[in-house]
Amino acid sequence: MRDEAKTVARGLQKRDPDLLDRLIEQYQYRLFRYLTYITGDKARAEDFFQETWIRVLERGHQYDGKSKFEAWLFAIARHLVIDWQRTKKAQSLDALTDPEQERPLQVANESEPSPLHQVLAQESEMNVQASLGRIPAIYREVLVLRFQEELQIEEMAGVLSIPVSTVKSRLYRGLDALRGALQEGVA
Amino acid sequence: MSENLHTRALQLVAKGRVEGLAQSESDWLSAHLQDCEFCNEHARQTDSALRALRTAAIPVPADLASRTQFRVRLRAMELREREPKRRMLWLACAASWIFGIASAPYVWRIFQWMGSVTHAPKLVWEIGFGLWWTIPALFAVIVLLLESAGRSEEPEWMKPGR
Repeated sequence: MRDEAKTVARGLQKRDPDLLDRLIEQYQYRLFRYLTYITGDKARAEDFFQETWIRVLERGHQYDGKSKFEAWLFAIARHLVIDWQRTKKAQSLDALTDPEQERPLQVANESEPSPLHQVLAQESEMNVQASLGRIPAIYREVLVLRFQEELQIEEMAGVLSIPVSTVKSRLYRGLDALRGALQEGVA
Repeated sequence: MSENLHTRALQLVAKGRVEGLAQSESDWLSAHLQDCEFCNEHARQTDSALRALRTAAIPVPADLASRTQFRVRLRAMELREREPKRRMLWLACAASWIFGIASAPYVWRIFQWMGSVTHAPKLVWEIGFGLWWTIPALFAVIVLLLESAGRSEEPEWMKPGR
């Protein structure tokens, strides 16, 4: 893993276009999913997806290969979203779940044709997305990073720029909230 | 069964999923879950919620990766084109500063001489000498400001290099 990270770091230093192409392919699903969950908006997630990779190109020299590339990638994506939130006069991702401003997750309502597997999984998927949409963004985010992206708690602390203890407390609360939200969805 | 035991069991159910359990904690929890239907149901619900979260799929738009690759390559070209200009600018500034240091004693005498010829106050020709030194830096600042002004038409959050 360390060798792979070092190779990525060297490639980013040189702004190697082939490496960037490969990374975009490799991380497209995970990054898009993360952005969709934290923004709650698929179209916006697409914009942030592209901007994240532009930023990776520009700031690639800052990645030293000592940590996982995905942790660094998610941190960049997160900062872009926070910057965007700030331009909307919000202080943090919490504003995404402000009841006055709340936009429910919209990924399930897309009009474009879906792959077969999406149709098959749609019912449970919509339930999960609706449930995630009901819990505050700060909990949604840690749940996605921990249980979908499978980052370690220390890596999450780096991505979110918060202490490990805060990550843990958010995870416990988020887990509780998710269970409750899914139960409500089923009921 | 005491309320404290249930509370501990529920805490361990969450801890097991978030951080993992020590062997002794795991053994204790397994034993408790065998005897307690309420806590067992809670553990099942937690696992079911996490399974649903892990298996939820969000389809990526088919051409998103290729569109992004195209934009990234364009931006890379832009950056490569800008690099030589930036390098030239710094080289020019460096050469100018080196020349400025080397010629400082002579320039000082020239300003002194011009001050005496024009009867300008000492402060005026000293300021003139100071400006002579700051011109390269001012020039670099102007170029950088012009560059950033060129990018100001993009939305704030999209500006590169932030």
